[in-house]
Amino acid sequence: MAEGPTHSPIPWETLEALLHRVQKPARYVGGEFNAVIKDWDAMPLHVCLAFPDLYELGMSNFALQIFYDLLNRRSDTLAERAYLPAPDMNAALRAAHLPLYTLESYRPVAAFDLLAISTAYEQLYTNLLEFLDLAGLPVESTARDERHPLVIGGGHGAFNPEPLADFVDAFVIGEGEAVLEELVTALLAIPAADRETQLDALVALPGVYVPRRYRPIYAADGRFQALEPRDAHTPARITKRILPQLPPTPVRQLVPNVDTVHNRAVIELQRGCSNGCRFCQAGIITRPIRERPPAEVLADVRAVTDATGYEEVALLSLSSADYTDIAALLEALQTAYASEHISFSLPSLRLDAFSVELADALSQGRRSGFTFAPEAATDALRARINKNIRTETVLEVAEMVFTRGWRTVKLYFMIGLPGESDEDVQEIVELAHQILRIGRQARGRKVEVHVSVNTFVPKPHTVFQWEPLADEETVLRRQAILQQGLRARGLRLAWHDYAESQLEALLARGDRRLAPVVKRAWELGARFDAWDEWRNPAAWEQAIAESGLDVAAYVGRRYAISEPLPWEHLDSGVNLRYLQEDYMRSQRGELLPDCRVQCHGCGILQHYASLQEECWQCPTRP
Amino acid sequence: MSDAPLNESLRYRLRFSTSGPLAFISVLELSTVWERTLRRAQIPLRYSQGFNPRPKLQFAAPLPTGCGGEAELLDCWLESPLEPAHFATQLAGQLPPGLAVAEIRHVPEGDDALNEQLQAARYVALLRTPDVAMVQARVADFLAQKTHLRPRRGRRHRGKSYDLRALVQDLSVEPTAPWISLHMQLQARPGATGRPDEVLEALQLRQELQRCIRLALLGPH
Repeated sequence: MAEGPTHSPIPWETLEALLHRVQKPARYVGGEFNAVIKDWDAMPLHVCLAFPDLYELGMSNFALQIFYDLLNRRSDTLAERAYLPAPDMNAALRAAHLPLYTLESYRPVAAFDLLAISTAYEQLYTNLLEFLDLAGLPVESTARDERHPLVIGGGHGAFNPEPLADFVDAFVIGEGEAVLEELVTALLAIPAADRETQLDALVALPGVYVPRRYRPIYAADGRFQALEPRDAHTPARITKRILPQLPPTPVRQLVPNVDTVHNRAVIELQRGCSNGCRFCQAGIITRPIRERPPAEVLADVRAVTDATGYEEVALLSLSSADYTDIAALLEALQTAYASEHISFSLPSLRLDAFSVELADALSQGRRSGFTFAPEAATDALRARINKNIRTETVLEVAEMVFTRGWRTVKLYFMIGLPGESDEDVQEIVELAHQILRIGRQARGRKVEVHVSVNTFVPKPHTVFQWEPLADEETVLRRQAILQQGLRARGLRLAWHDYAESQLEALLARGDRRLAPVVKRAWELGARFDAWDEWRNPAAWEQAIAESGLDVAAYVGRRYAISEPLPWEHLDSGVNLRYLQEDYMRSQRGELLPDCRVQCHGCGILQHYASLQEECWQCPTRP
Repeated sequence: MSDAPLNESLRYRLRFSTSGPLAFISVLELSTVWERTLRRAQIPLRYSQGFNPRPKLQFAAPLPTGCGGEAELLDCWLESPLEPAHFATQLAGQLPPGLAVAEIRHVPEGDDALNEQLQAARYVALLRTPDVAMVQARVADFLAQKTHLRPRRGRRHRGKSYDLRALVQDLSVEPTAPWISLHMQLQARPGATGRPDEVLEALQLRQELQRCIRLALLGPH
């Protein structure tokens, strides 16, 4: 790559003077233990790994940690990190005419060959544009060429990347580990290539989607009809990539000097989830389930804690209690590490007695809050969403939690679910009060019940992908039911503004026509859409109004089951027919048992049959 | 306890420096950095009892965020004896960039806490302004004042003020290159500690700050 004066590192003295004037300056200096510093000139390929939000969040993204480890192991590649500065540092950089830089070498992001940036969720999209702009890069991919880094997106949001189609050169669909290596190898083979040649190489890689190589077709009434490859080399469908087994745990994990959201070691316990909740996107797109063998987990804890000094290890998964032999694993871990002051945390526990036992064993007397997610308050509505628990179990578990010494129970619910009535929402109020009563009987006056209510947002590739976002009037009415009903002492309620959910739904379901709207909202000042203190609903309102797009047609409408969907060219490995059948089951109020008990033929096994020989099949429960 | 030979004491004093990236972390974060560093080095730390055991670590005085330190002090207590030389060997390679250890030695277990021994601290602020005369004039003005009231920080103290002048024991300017050095000696007693950033505010020189370093802690032996 051409190396101009703007591509040399920013001198420390320049940054230092700036840092005295911003909040939490340590976010912007790197220097973490286990950060990898390589010789720039000795490396043929330079990758910037980015998460377009604050350091505290970006450092907690485990995918970037895996890629950092993976790419820096290579002798031909250097990988450094960059996150989006908070508005004060952003302004300070712009005032000083300094570009966004990486935390290892303080080199401008624009100097890198490849920018791999997370598109994990919709609220990062305007941040992605701000990130490119602060790096001094044109935000539109057609305005960039081989003098600029190739911009690669990935993460859950990549399963409908159309609203970002104008800005990102290519998306990795599915698990990035194998693809990134192939991508790096492919680029190394064509060092002096122009941008189109680079894109040709990317199009040839399985699991890579290059939006510019497709043409959208809309019907006369404006509805999305199809996405057509522009040439014969471009595949009509892109199937997500998976690894046959979990990648090795990164051992030399970055140890931040400042507090982050997940400030601890991470060992990925399993990928995938067998519960089949119908609203859940992760449950579909991370299939199939792959577990890390217990012996490997035990060895990884030793290696990672030795290399980091972390005093806490999180065992990452979408549903920890489902891991085969979780109880035996935890017992083994605690026996092995009890004397070393290492604690373990399990995110995403199920709502059952078994999970409470697990949490009880883990918490060693520290009892802050116990979190669980009934999602809906009635058996019938839970059957619609395939959340297989009964209200009596919720109450039994709550009693058990209080009896074991927890004083606060946090409950997650959704409103605006398909088939939901006002009465279902009133039942959330009743359930919270019942749980509060149980808590008071068990523990006295000081107990608290925190109710957090999300508005259901239909996500691509889920069983509910055809469902609408509930209209504003309905959502406000149901929020009011909760606000009025949950006023008592000991109860706390958190909810989201309708505008936030509407924006999330719009970006989740949008086609390519959303891209100019994202750009316009960003131009008008929208960024940090997930942050209450920084988001800018007025900018979005104006951008949407100027575009003339019918928001209701995107978010407020039930899609016909045969209707072409803007994300249909991306294949999650789960058959459309399976989603359709389960959608019908939902309408009949039928539960679908956990697929560890019985295989429902979602298609994932057939899709990846060629990988199966190597080692995996879906785990089953006797 | 005080009669026990010093080299059997399980209380150790580390003299260390922080610079570069580590100058920008808060005192709580520095404590976590040290805890993890000592854990990586497999130092047999003594932990408190109870539900949430913590290693026993005591700093002499919190370093202001944005300020490095050349001779900081940390006391830590171990579970079992460790030769200071071995202590240093185990730490080698486990320190994050910007953290360096100059000395490790035993101190009597019964000694006063470091923060109780502390009397004052010396700082240097490197300023980017080329105008030495201006800085000198402001310093002279400040020193000529009998009192200089500044608002106290933090919610609890809203509306209250304190006398910064009384906490400044010495203040002088040295026209070094490339940056002017502003030397300060500030009182550092529990409840009566001068902060270098407050002095810079009082002199209206905060915007000129390039680097701040705590050179020495006065009091502990």
